[in-house]
Amino acid sequence: MADVLLTGASALLAFQRQLDTTSHNIANVGTDGYTRQRVTLQALPGQNFGNGFIGNGVQAVSVDRLTDPFIQDRLLESLSEQSRLDRFSTYADRLDTLLSNTDTGLAQPMQNYFDALQGLSANPSSSAARNSVLAAARTLITRFQSLQTQLDATQNDINARLTQAANTANTYAAQIAQVNTEIANALAASGGQPPNDLLDQRDQLLSQLSKEIGISTAAQSDGTLNVFTANGQALVIGGTSSRLSTLPDPYQPQRLDLAIDLGAGPVRISSLASGGEIGGLLDFRREVLDPTASELGRVAASLALTVNAQNHDGMDAYGSLGGDLFNVAGPVALGSSTNTGSATLGASFANVAQLTGANYQLRYDGANWSVVDATTGAAVSFSGTGAAGNPLTFGGVSVVVSGSASAGDSFLLKPTASAASSLALATGDPNRIATALPVRIASSLANAGTATAGGLAVTDAADPNLLSSASIVFTSATTYSINGGPAQAYASGSPIAANGWSVTVSGVPAAGDTFTVSANVAGSSDNGNALALGALSTAPVLDGGTQSFNATYAGLVARVGGASQQADLQKTAQDAVQATLAAQRDSVAGVNLDEEAANLVRFQQAYQAAAQIINIANQTFAALLAAVRS
Amino acid sequence: MISRIGTSFLHLQGLSAMLLQQAKLAKVQQQMSSGQRLTRAADDPAAASNALGIDQALAELNRHDENAKSLQQRLNAEEGALTSVGDVIARVQELAVQANNGTYSDSERKAVSAELHQLYDELVGFANSGDGTGRFLFGGTQDGAAPFIRTAAGVTYRGDQGQRQIPLAPGLNVVDGDPGTEIFQRIPSGNGTFTVSAAAGNAGSASVQAAVVTNGAAWVPGNYTIQLAGGNYTVLDATSTVVASGAYVSGSAIPFNGISVTIGGTPQPGDSFGVAASGSQDVFATVQKLIDAVDLPGTTPAINAQRSTLYFGAQQDLAQALAHISDARANVGARLSAIDAAGLQRSAAKLDAHTTLSNLRDLDYTEAVTRLSLLQTALQAAQQTYQRVQGSSLFDFLR
Repeated sequence: MADVLLTGASALLAFQRQLDTTSHNIANVGTDGYTRQRVTLQALPGQNFGNGFIGNGVQAVSVDRLTDPFIQDRLLESLSEQSRLDRFSTYADRLDTLLSNTDTGLAQPMQNYFDALQGLSANPSSSAARNSVLAAARTLITRFQSLQTQLDATQNDINARLTQAANTANTYAAQIAQVNTEIANALAASGGQPPNDLLDQRDQLLSQLSKEIGISTAAQSDGTLNVFTANGQALVIGGTSSRLSTLPDPYQPQRLDLAIDLGAGPVRISSLASGGEIGGLLDFRREVLDPTASELGRVAASLALTVNAQNHDGMDAYGSLGGDLFNVAGPVALGSSTNTGSATLGASFANVAQLTGANYQLRYDGANWSVVDATTGAAVSFSGTGAAGNPLTFGGVSVVVSGSASAGDSFLLKPTASAASSLALATGDPNRIATALPVRIASSLANAGTATAGGLAVTDAADPNLLSSASIVFTSATTYSINGGPAQAYASGSPIAANGWSVTVSGVPAAGDTFTVSANVAGSSDNGNALALGALSTAPVLDGGTQSFNATYAGLVARVGGASQQADLQKTAQDAVQATLAAQRDSVAGVNLDEEAANLVRFQQAYQAAAQIINIANQTFAALLAAVRS
Repeated sequence: MISRIGTSFLHLQGLSAMLLQQAKLAKVQQQMSSGQRLTRAADDPAAASNALGIDQALAELNRHDENAKSLQQRLNAEEGALTSVGDVIARVQELAVQANNGTYSDSERKAVSAELHQLYDELVGFANSGDGTGRFLFGGTQDGAAPFIRTAAGVTYRGDQGQRQIPLAPGLNVVDGDPGTEIFQRIPSGNGTFTVSAAAGNAGSASVQAAVVTNGAAWVPGNYTIQLAGGNYTVLDATSTVVASGAYVSGSAIPFNGISVTIGGTPQPGDSFGVAASGSQDVFATVQKLIDAVDLPGTTPAINAQRSTLYFGAQQDLAQALAHISDARANVGARLSAIDAAGLQRSAAKLDAHTTLSNLRDLDYTEAVTRLSLLQTALQAAQQTYQRVQGSSLFDFLR
């Protein structure tokens, strides 16, 4: 007969394992990344007694994790994306609040500045109105600068976080490599029994790593797992890991790039890395922060240049032609650290309307220059050769190359990068605001005709004769001459132009009627140019003359707000995906205490039954002995 | 359908449900305490961007309100000054009629002259009126100093002809004042077409009684001389060509070139009258001419006739000046009503802007309160569910 005692003992041992495993499950109900385990039992092969096979009891074959590797991979992906969106939306929210809040954004001070200019146009001789324009300009400049400071601080923050995330990822990668080795050893030592808790530990490390950077994995036959970045750079191969690090940008050393060292020195992978904290940081920097900085600079530069140009068209309270009201730095050209030639680039603004928010890369191939968009890499068409008389002209800037470039040299041109931080008042003298037109017109009191003059405007403030006196004398009702020059045909309502001004005369003049255009004088309360300065508030000067400053800034707010909103929405969606995946994983791998309690009861009862088998065997044996003894 | 739930997942799920409801509650709280639906652009990027544009339009409308106030004040000041000028001219007209009385003695005229001098001073004073902020109303854009100064030759203008356009509403600019040249100087003389004067040496008692345009189209501007001799008149133009001639009858019209001049009295042979095209004459010169006429001493028929012609001219000039000033006042009145019209336009635009902004940015409290109570209920439900779910465990029964 089969050995009841041995059968009972095998059952006791098996149920002992099950109770152990259930206790382990209960003990780890709060452990992150723990996968519930189950003992696989197998009946021991029976023994043939001629009249059939009699079973020999049970044995515990293995202890397995209840896991779904497919869900695990999707969980890693989802964690990566969640962490990327989390980082992205945190920064985008912060930037959005900065730009859209009245107390920190640009809209209010910009509006106040133009409001002050419009106030000045209603009262051009008031020194209070002039001073309030300067005060509003100071506030506007301070706001530009503080926004730029915040953007710079965010850049530095991103640098620090990038370095930190790279270090954290390195720590996890090294730990994964180590656990890989331990798993391979344990598998070999146990003859193929899975080292469940080491596997859990590795899965947990993978989750942590995927929060830092997007990864993909490949299982190996020896139980190890190779880990790659989302675009295929090996982070962990078996028991060895590579190092992520940060490298200064070749053009701008204060800006860090992500790099990986695969054994042959660090290689930049900023443009390739995606997912996780690192992906979020790089995406935000590329998609939101850099364009915001360029756009802010573009508003600053175009505002300064446009206001200056308009002030040049007027006459200040001292009777001089207007000068600059703002100082603003020109485009920044940065040479690559790998350049070998001696060339330097001198860049200046050429055309406000054509300024874009883009940065450009200029490359020299030994014979010719080429220009590409620094973000997209798309070729940009340009004119000129770079010589002083024929500068490279594109995107509203012109670039003069001095020194000699070597083949392969490249430069990064940031047209508006320094504009916001460098913006300053060119003069602290309120009387330098050119409110008046430089010229005025008088019609002679002796005029006998009905012609009247109006719409005097300056068309070219640089005309050397602008301030010279000029008499428009009508030689008949249909002809006039300027300063005794040749007779010209007169048509009522069409402009008469000379010396950089133009004026519209309408009506019927009599022969001898005279209009005199002469230089305006100091202290004039004319508001011709002040009106033009105030009108810049809504004038379409950007984007090829289609957008006002306010509209451009509103566009920036909408763009950052949109990025933030989109990131928030994606994050909400990703949270839902993550919750679903976590629920799915948990439905397989999670410990349920009620289930374990039931199991505990079940295995306890089984164990008690098995103990009863030993008891029965014992009694049977004792009965046999008693029978023999008596 | 998930048929198996992990205990820690159940816990986390309950917790995250509560955290989510709390985050939503915090948002409602922020919205309700600020009264704004948009707390940052991400709440509605398009609306936030639109709102910035409307903010700017609104600021501009408010600026236009300010402009309208100061413009109204200036125009009221100008209207006041013009009314006073009109009163002075009307009084001068009265005096011109009063003085044009053949029986007035030299001393009676002297009294009139004294009052005229006084009125002349007043006129200069009004022409140099200030706008209440230290600027002069009639100086054009050179309004920092009194524009009219008295010289030996009369009154000279040292302002300019500049005018300021003040924006009052989008696309509507209103001129904020008139230069002194246009108010006090560019006034047509005579009847607006021509003037008549007596030659200085006229010895007879003939004087001008009327000067009218009968056919404006036939009028040829130029200088003409009406010569009276031997009971006939001859009208010569500047080249001494005879334009018209006929028998002179006292008090009947002498017509030529679309105009007619009526001369009355008895001329001496060789007496003549000049006709010239109207030009501009400033109001000060007009009054000065009247003063000169009043001050002309003597009561001989010849001098009386000279004076009579001068009075006639002065009255014509004064009528022109008064009409010119009334026109200017009407013009200022039109601008004042343009300000009112622009004010209505701005109010409508502001209401629109406020309504739009409110729709874009303001919180709908009814909706928010409903949402608040809904979220409170949801949070309580999440809390109670958590409590119930977490409170039941099989282990409680294994005793």
